[in-house]
Amino acid sequence: MAKYQTPMLDELEKGAWPSFVTEIKKAAKNSKMAEDELGQLEKSFQTKRGYWKHGGIVGVLGYGSGVIGRYSSLPEEFPGVAHFHTYRINQPSGFFYTSEALKEICDIWDKYGSGLTNLHGSTGDLVLLGTTTDALEPLFAEYSSRGWDLGGSGSAMRTPSCCIGQARCEWANINAMDICNHFTQHFQDELHRPAFPYKFKIKVSGCACDCVAAIARADLSIIGTWKGDIRIDQAEVKNYADNGMDIQKEIVGMCPTECMTYEGGELKINNEKCSRCMHCISKMTKALRPGEEKGASILVGSKAPIVVGSLISWVLVPFIKAEAPYEELTELTENIIEWWDDNAKPRERLGELIEVKGMRPLLEAIGVAPQPQQVKEPRKDPFFFWSESDFEK
Amino acid sequence: MSLPERQTDVGPPHYEKFLPPVIKNNYGKWKYHEVLSPGTMVHVAESGDELYTVRVASPRLLSTETIREVCDLAEKYCDGYLRFTTRNNIELLISDKAKLDPCVAELKEKGYMIGGIGPRISNVIHTQGWVHCHGACTDASGLVKAMMDELHEYFTTKELPNKVRLAVACCVNMCGAVHVSDIAVVAVHRKVPVIDDENVAKMCEIPTTVGSCPTSAIRPNPKTKSVTINEEKCMYCGNCFTVCPPINIHNPEEDGVAIVVGGKIGSLRTSPKFSKLAIPFFYNEPPRWPKVVDAIKNILNVYAENARKHERVGEWIERVGWEEFFKLTGIEFTFQHIDDFTFMRDTMRSSAAFKY
Amino acid sequence: MEQAEIQEQIYAYMQKMKGKKKLKEKDVIKKIVADNEELDKDTVKKALREMINVGKLMYSYGGGASSVEIPSEEYLKEKGLI
Repeated sequence: MAKYQTPMLDELEKGAWPSFVTEIKKAAKNSKMAEDELGQLEKSFQTKRGYWKHGGIVGVLGYGSGVIGRYSSLPEEFPGVAHFHTYRINQPSGFFYTSEALKEICDIWDKYGSGLTNLHGSTGDLVLLGTTTDALEPLFAEYSSRGWDLGGSGSAMRTPSCCIGQARCEWANINAMDICNHFTQHFQDELHRPAFPYKFKIKVSGCACDCVAAIARADLSIIGTWKGDIRIDQAEVKNYADNGMDIQKEIVGMCPTECMTYEGGELKINNEKCSRCMHCISKMTKALRPGEEKGASILVGSKAPIVVGSLISWVLVPFIKAEAPYEELTELTENIIEWWDDNAKPRERLGELIEVKGMRPLLEAIGVAPQPQQVKEPRKDPFFFWSESDFEK
Repeated sequence: MSLPERQTDVGPPHYEKFLPPVIKNNYGKWKYHEVLSPGTMVHVAESGDELYTVRVASPRLLSTETIREVCDLAEKYCDGYLRFTTRNNIELLISDKAKLDPCVAELKEKGYMIGGIGPRISNVIHTQGWVHCHGACTDASGLVKAMMDELHEYFTTKELPNKVRLAVACCVNMCGAVHVSDIAVVAVHRKVPVIDDENVAKMCEIPTTVGSCPTSAIRPNPKTKSVTINEEKCMYCGNCFTVCPPINIHNPEEDGVAIVVGGKIGSLRTSPKFSKLAIPFFYNEPPRWPKVVDAIKNILNVYAENARKHERVGEWIERVGWEEFFKLTGIEFTFQHIDDFTFMRDTMRSSAAFKY
Repeated sequence: MEQAEIQEQIYAYMQKMKGKKKLKEKDVIKKIVADNEELDKDTVKKALREMINVGKLMYSYGGGASSVEIPSEEYLKEKGLI
């Protein structure tokens, strides 16, 4: 018989959508930790409050990241979750696995933890939910010896993450998975040993559709783009029209730059006027393809609301080549991080630091010229700084 | 039993280890894709090779038992290759077309839900909630389950004008991308935190705690070696609670959730947008939050009826105007909808033209 | 300066600051470099990292930020170091 009566949670086993309660119950068959997780969660549902304490100081020897301490505030009532730490495994780029690899991860986790996971956490890690302090070193030995390192946490480089990129997507202008893997390997020290003022996130999307939400939740947003003409297959344009697409209304009429015409069954694009927003390409994927000179736009500063409001990243470098071994991109990234690391207060994100210091000091520190692509519009009021270097011109 | 030898700084395994041969052979050489059904699509390479994908809903919180079951299916139909999307859907990757229909059939038979591709609702991005977070003032998984039990047809079959991205955050830290979602729920506090002076004095750095407040509402209190909070300035963000836990922001009876709408991430047609406040507050009503679910259904229905094809929620609202959004949805406009401080410069109307 | 001597200075500083202020790696490195003009940042960082690797110091987390500190007895026991 079940250890706890869970009428509130049982209600959430009903209905069509897959149930997380069912998942916890599955794990609870084999794990006292998962069983007490279920009991404590039912109590939260009854009383409308959580019963977890602030993170504690746990980790594996030599690292300061990857494990998040979690303790129940009711350890006597729910001893199975007295310790219930999170173990973040750094996911492979693009979240690809073989069943063999995933099963091995599960076998180890069942031995040392609750059997509960998140595939995946918000940042991208493969999250293992709920283990004890004693199990941390054994878990690290088991996983790291098989090539699975810990992800980031705390004031560190966070686990970089990316969209599926060129593995399956015809719109990917850059090798997002490889760039993600490159930065993950390049910043191993910064990822495991939290020496930064606060978190730093890098995310890579192959195009402006931005499936990994790089522009909204990465201090450094790398987004694939192109130069040159959109490639058109007029025969496929005709197919779309024949299959009922109203090209004038849905494609030409919704183009934000009005750079397209559709006359006599022919779709024309004035590529000089195109802002490469991806609307037409995403709707006519067989007929239209991005241009062939590929690169990335670099935007910086996005974050969630804490502390002074949410930010969406700002354009820093409109176009940069992004081909292996990514020397220029890596140098730029290092310079941005160095400027932030040297200037930020504790718990100050890159975007907030730019708001305090201004964009100019960052642009000058990394050697990027001011360009109209960086702004929506110039400033409105006649208050602006002049520096000595401006008078020398 | 002895443990294997640990190694450090190896990073994750290289992704190439996990790519099916059809992807390795056609990496960077995909030509186009077609959506075959709400839950299946085919990608075609320059070489003519095809890759079939089946997208499956996931509660994100998965037991190892379920992961093993999905792995078994991947072995049966996909030579063991599978992946997860950035929105935590499960994707089975099939290179043999003959295996597509049997795979879909077995998934359905086992109770998996297939869908989420195209102009629909995909998996809901959400945070840990009461399941595992100390800062949660609602339960994210519970809200998602309650919402999607009502909206699942928009995952499996029904179309919308464009995709609608839903998200739930269990506090204003917003792990995930709530601030740029079409429709999202975010948990909020409404009361000034309660200070445990004795523990603040013992556990917290006073200057750091004072400095943590974005509205400068916190001042040192030399008498108690603790701090005081100016109630008129506090906006209940909870940053002080993160920095100094004895300043307790939680208030189970007065905490709840807000609904925000109109955010988007892609640069398609219009720039990425923040989500904006639609409804400032609902009390937590576990296990099913019926009023929140009804409010989301209402907003979604009004969008589905009024938006043009390909318009995202935010694009539709900007075209018709927010005053029309409030009229069409019947949502009450309150003091909470009007911005504060210098933020209002960007959001107050400076025009004599508007609708009733 | 010998590595061991640098590490002694680091440890002494950490002891002095214990319970007063949470220190980041950078704060410690800055202080030691300021006290010893012949030392550079990288040398001090290397000495500090070695102390962390053997559990003489540890990374900590609290108040929403990471820091370095002297490990508790409980931590050392868990790591099998005492």
